[in-house]
Parts: sequence; structure tokens; C-alpha cells
Amino acid sequence: MERHVITALERIVGPDGIVRDEGELLTYETDGLVKLRSKPGVAVLPTSADQVQRIVRLCHEHKVPFVARGQGTGLSGGAMPHPDGVLIVMTRMNRILDVDIPNRRITVEPGVMNLDVSKAVAAAGYYYAPDPSSQVICSIGGNLAENSGGAHCLKYGFTVHHVLGVEAVLPDGELVHLGGPALDAPGLDLLGVLVGSEGTLAVVTKVVLNLLRKPAAVETLLAAFDSTEAAGNAVSGIIGAGIIPAAVEMMDRVTIEAAEAAVHPNFPKTEAILIVELDGAEADVAALFTRVEEVCKEARASEIQIARTPEQRARFWQGRKAAFAAMGRVSPSYYVQDGVIPRTRLPEVLGRIRDLSDRSGLKIGNVFHAGDGNLHPLVCYDERIEGQADLAQEVASEILTYCLDADGSITGEHGVGADKAEHLPKMFSENDLDTMQLVRCAFDPGYICNPGKVFPTPRLCGEVPGPYRKHPAEAAGLAERV
Amino acid sequence: MASPSTTALLDQLATRAGPGAAVRAGGEEDSVDGVRPRLAAAPATGEALAATLASASSEGLSVRVRGGGTKQDWGAPGETVDLLLSSAALSRVVEHRHGDLTATVEAGATLASVNAALAAHGQRLPWDPPWPERATIGGIVATNDSGPRRHGHGAPRDSIIGVTMARIDGRVAKAGGVVVKNVAGYDLARLLSGSFGCLGVILTATFKLAPAPPASRTMRVEVDSLEAAAPIAAELAGSSLTPTAIEVAWAPARLLVRFESVEASVAQQAETACAIVGARGAVAVLGGEDEQGVWSRHAAHWSSGGTLVKLSTVPVELFPTLAWLRDRAATDGIEMAVAGRAGLGVVDVRLDGPPEAQAGLVGALRERLPAGRGSAVIRRSASDLRRRVDAWGPIGDGMRVMMAIKRQFDPAGLLNPGRGPGGL
Repeated sequence: MERHVITALERIVGPDGIVRDEGELLTYETDGLVKLRSKPGVAVLPTSADQVQRIVRLCHEHKVPFVARGQGTGLSGGAMPHPDGVLIVMTRMNRILDVDIPNRRITVEPGVMNLDVSKAVAAAGYYYAPDPSSQVICSIGGNLAENSGGAHCLKYGFTVHHVLGVEAVLPDGELVHLGGPALDAPGLDLLGVLVGSEGTLAVVTKVVLNLLRKPAAVETLLAAFDSTEAAGNAVSGIIGAGIIPAAVEMMDRVTIEAAEAAVHPNFPKTEAILIVELDGAEADVAALFTRVEEVCKEARASEIQIARTPEQRARFWQGRKAAFAAMGRVSPSYYVQDGVIPRTRLPEVLGRIRDLSDRSGLKIGNVFHAGDGNLHPLVCYDERIEGQADLAQEVASEILTYCLDADGSITGEHGVGADKAEHLPKMFSENDLDTMQLVRCAFDPGYICNPGKVFPTPRLCGEVPGPYRKHPAEAAGLAERV
Repeated sequence: MASPSTTALLDQLATRAGPGAAVRAGGEEDSVDGVRPRLAAAPATGEALAATLASASSEGLSVRVRGGGTKQDWGAPGETVDLLLSSAALSRVVEHRHGDLTATVEAGATLASVNAALAAHGQRLPWDPPWPERATIGGIVATNDSGPRRHGHGAPRDSIIGVTMARIDGRVAKAGGVVVKNVAGYDLARLLSGSFGCLGVILTATFKLAPAPPASRTMRVEVDSLEAAAPIAAELAGSSLTPTAIEVAWAPARLLVRFESVEASVAQQAETACAIVGARGAVAVLGGEDEQGVWSRHAAHWSSGGTLVKLSTVPVELFPTLAWLRDRAATDGIEMAVAGRAGLGVVDVRLDGPPEAQAGLVGALRERLPAGRGSAVIRRSASDLRRRVDAWGPIGDGMRVMMAIKRQFDPAGLLNPGRGPGGL
């Protein structure tokens, strides 16, 4: 990186706000997906929107790529730095700016942790609905970039349903305000496309979130089944009965054992468990919870545990949310896949995954949001055994093809990032990707905002309309993925 | 160069787009805001619609998109229109995956027809915008229009999970998919929601559905004034009750609060709601035909004539703003009526009176709303008023990105020209 750019950056953020030391920069070379590494040219830690704006404007003037990073918990390499670029680390912008209970709004900086939003309003009886498993350590800015969900998104939706407005810095350094505390700001729904754009359209500097009143009643049960198929049938039965639970989570034997080893939730030792949570008005929960129990019994649940106390409920969730990390107890390494299928295809796809496990010899654990068909197969491997890491990668990729065969998606919540860009054309046609990138061209014609992520091949902006034809640079192989 | 005659264009378009395009000369019945399109087409398939768009755009024809025609006079009034492109013939429910609680439908299907089909499995699109018998899915999504149930179920943009669209050059593109959870690629479905057809033409859309509830009850609260309704609405919206609608209407001032779930729940919740209201209003809990009646009378607000202004504020500022508007309208000699989402801060204000006075009122209202904390959009009016006042009002600093997006999607500005948000 050119020296005068670094000097200018240091003038913006001060000596405390810049990381240039090669050793210290290693801290930032990956996000939660550690297999993809790239050391940034330089990292800066701004403390205000004004600083972000000046940083981005500088990058724009010098055509330097930049990547915004929150807590680095992403699992698709979306925050992987650009080796010749600036990494904008947003963790110091972590203030809660305004709590507005009468309007059920909260305004925060993007570095605020997800769980801290709910904590800030808990005493008033409110909470922030999206609850990714990493909610203790992931920040709102990253949630917004990834359109994060969580166990409770079956009923309450994703980040995009709860973000009302943002202040954001465009890739040319201009500050814009999209949406706001009032609904239906006139104009195109730029917020709708910005959320989930994986940091490729803008850097968010302030966020207005919607708050929900805590439900009057919550009931949670845990049902054990002799097979994942039986558990899957129970899920279909619940949805078929017209019930939308707050959450329906499934774990298989591999992940149950791992969770048991790690946090001892005392789950039944069986092939599959479901955690079903209902919330809402008391009469609703009372009536429907009985129905859920009946459906589980009809689906031949071998055991049903009902959380009688908040502590018991917390134990169920602790076991579920610990499942990823707990895999370390049963396997030296594992790869978390993230795919989605229509929930009615669960038995078929789980069967194919089981066959794949047998064929490859790699253990695959399944823990997932069963209500919305979002699978998280955990492919276990031992990197000390030669070739096994690559095999795990192939196995994980093959699972994505099963999801696509079932009319599903290659990612439900972890994002495309750098990891799955090459898979995106399996799901979308050239026209689809071209059309999506029209949005990219409108926001970032200079292609400096998190380049190389999401789309395998950048669209060259400013093409004349008409039948698609390759840009000369692209045809010459000069414009492949960065 | 003289523009080709309508007959010549008709021949050309019919030849290029094929017989499926059903091209004809525009008639008086196709006119909107006094502008009569030269041609009209109602293609029978998505492919034919895309081909028609491709032919039209290659000729540089401006295109106005139409579904059921219920909201043609919404948005900024158009200037000239060469081709009125109707999606009405695309009216199929493509697939109802009832086990997955999702459905894919064509843009021209009416909301009522879709919900009739979904009812076979006890499911529905839980929206209740005006004119469900005529309003199409494409039009509802393109305007992101909603009704009272938005309180509990959100707007169309909250249920949409996938879309197929035809671009102005005839290329067909999709985004999203058929699964309820999906973050692969950009969310074009949300970008198209509320875009007023100025970026592309929706061909199909996929939604997550809601189970149709077995029971419903509505609490009607009659109070003396908007001021008296305000604290009641705030307390209901801030309670842990789960109403699917909290509506305000004026005048006279009343609230309608709807509960839809199992019988035990709607009965108990209506009772709790009545206790919250206490002696502050005349309360009635309605079910069955009485309930249907109160809602159809409420819906008449949107079918009555006059100007319709969508007012949006943060929830607690809604009632003070309405009270101010009421007093100002009285001074200006403008008749006013209100109905809308009390819990969300979004209502439709109906105005009747001299256009210059209405224009003044809308301008004053906009000045009163701080940037980002509210807006007043003229949804529908005599075209005279919308030529006098910008229908959309200030858009804010995001406008330049919106214009850039429009240029990318429709470089020649042929789709619904001038009509979309901010005159896109």
C-alpha cells in the first residue's frame, strides 16, 4: 500500500486507530472461516461516522479496495481482508445512541453486540428478535451485512424484518440515510437490498432497530425420536396443524453427544431430538402447546421433556447453541455447512447426507433450524490425516448440490462471502447474477467495496443495455474474480 | 424522424412479440390521468411478456405496467405512454407447497383468487389491502400495499421470498427462491417491492404463507376524539397482546383491534383488551357477521373518492400529527377522514376540497414532519393535484442511489416513466 495513503489514514484515525504491524495484522487475516486467510494492507479502527466517511473517501480517491469488519464471527469469509486494501474494523463504534421505548425503537452503532441490544431494553419488557447462535459475540453491523437469523426467525423473521433505518457511507464516501424510525420512507427499498449484501454496497455507521415486546408466555419442550425421519415428520405435523412455533430445532446423535460432552445439557441419548418453543399470548401458547405435544406423540416421540422453569429452558438452549463449538470434543476439526431445503424434503436430503457420510468415511453431524429447513451439517475431519481436509471440503460442497437438487439454497444465514461465490452460479443463471450486479454497479461502480465477495465474476459497470455480451476485458480473461 | 404510426407500431410489435402478446391499439378504457396509451398488450405468458418488453424497448417505446388497474392513478402522473402492458393474463397459482407453507404465483393473479386456492389447505397470504377481488399480486408487491393485518403480519415485502422479473430489455431474471430462509445473492424481491414497476416487470413471486386462523374477534372502541384514542392505541400496541390489527378511524374517532387465532385465545385476548380500555370508550367485541360488517365499512375508506395521502410517523407522533392536521384542514375548508395502522404509525388520510388548499395542506404537513421521522405521500388524487404538488415529497439523500439503480435497470427511462418514487 502506498505510503501517503497510510499517512493519510493515520491522520484520520490517529496513531491509536491504525494497525500496520505485520504481526498485529495477522489478528485480522480471517473471520470465523479460518481456512480463508488474507492479511490486510492496513487496518483502521474508526470511532465515528465522520472518520469512516473520510477513510472511504480516501479509498475512493486512490482506488484502494476496502473491507468492513465487525466482530469477525462470519462463517463465509465475507470479512476476509483484501491483501492490497484497507480493513475497516468497526468494533470501536459500539455505542447505544438512543433507546426509545414508547416508539419501540433503538438506535445503535454497528459495533454493538447483538445480545447487548436486548439487554439494554430488557428491563422495559422488550427485546431484539434476531438471535444468531453467536449473539454474545457478534455485532449488529455484521448481522445487517449477513441478514442474520437465529433460532427464532421461523416466527419473527430475519434482520431485514427488524432494521428500520441506517446511516451508511457509500463507496464514494457520501453519507446517506435510508429508512428511519418511521416506516415507509418514500423511495426504493434500498434498505431491503442493503441488508444481506455482505458488505459489498456500503459501510453502515448507525442503525435503527425495531424492538418487540417480550411475549406473555413461553413454553419449550424437548422431544426424542428414534430417527431423524420421525423427528422430521413431527416438524411437518406441527406446521401442518397451522402452528408457527417461535423455534423448532433438530439435533442428531452426533451433535447430541458433542453437546453432552461440552455443556452436559442431559439430553436423551437417542437418534434425534427436537426443541420446540412456542411463545405469545398465554391462551395461544396453552392451547397450541398441547397440540404440539400430541403431534410429537403421534410422530412416535420416545420421550418428551417440558421445561418447567426458565433454568430448564436455558439448559435446552445452551445444549443447542453450544453444538457447533462442542464438535471440537468429538472431532479434531470440522467444517460447518449452511444450506437450505424446503422442510418437506428433510427426510430425503438427510438420507443422502447419511449415505455421503458412509461413502466418504467422514462423520457428519446435523444440527439445524428444522422449522425453516436450514441445515447445518458439521463435516468432521482430522487435518493431520493427509487429504482429509480436502475431502471434507468436497463432502461439504456435495451437500450443497443436494440442497439445490431439492429446490433449496446454498446459504440460509452464513452468506456467500468468499467461500461460496463459486457456487452461486449453480443456483442462479447468468441473467440472474447480471441483474443482481446492476445494484452493485449503482452503489459501487468503482468496485472497491469488499470486492471479490458474493459474485464469482464482477459485472463491468456502465455497459450499454442490450443482449449480453462479454466485455472485451472479460473475454480476454482480465476481469475474472479478483 | 417522424414517429411511426400507431398501426405500423402495432404490426411491428405483434410480429416481433408473437401472437401470445395480444397487442391492440390503446382505447379510452386504458387511459390514466387523461393519458391514453397508443398500444395495449396483455401477454398470455411470462415469456411473451418479456418478448413484448424487448420489442417495445428496442423501439424506444415508453411502457406503463398494469395488473388489476386498481392503483393506476397512484404515484406521480405519467406524461405520454406508448404501451400499456398488462400482466392480467398471468393469473395462475404456479405452485402451492402447502407442507412448506409457501406458494409461487403469477403476477396477474388477484389476491382473492390466490387466497381462494390457498384455502384448500387452510393457508393464506395474510394481507388485506384494498380491492382484493381486483388487485393483483404484481400490483400489490410493486406498491408494497397492505391493509390492517400489516400490524401482525407485515407488508408484502416481509413475506416475499423470491421473484422472477422481466427486465426492460426482455431478459428474465430471478432472485431469492422457494425456501423461507435464504441469503444467497442480492435481495431483488425486496428492491422490487414498492418500486412502482420502474425497475422491471414482476412475472412471478414466491411468498411464505400463514395458516388461516380458526377464530377471529374484533374489539371496537368508540371515543370522543383522536386525542382520547391516542393513549389507548399506545397501550394496546405496547402490551403483550398479539393483535393482527390495530386500526384507527376518524371521524368519529374509533379503534378496531383484531385478534385471530384459536377460539380460546381470541376470546381471552379480546377480554384483556377490553380491560385495558376500561371506561375510556364505548367498547364492543364483535364476531361473525358483525365483525365482517365493521371491517367492510372500515375498508370503504379506500374506495371513497377524494385524495388519499399516506401519512407515516413514528408511532407516538401519529395522533398529535393527526390532531394538527384535523384542525388545519378545518381552517382550510378541507374535508378529512382517517383510517390506518394506529400501532405502526401509518395511516391513509382522505382529503376533499379545493386543489390549491389541498396542495397547501400537504406542503404544510411535510414541513411539519422531521426528515426520517415521517412522510406524506399522495397515493391517489385528481391528476391536477399531483401535477401541482410532488406526489412523493422529499426522498432524502438516498435519492442519488435510487437514480443510479434506475439508470442501471432502465437506462433509457422507458418503464413507468416519471411515476415511481421520486419521479424515477
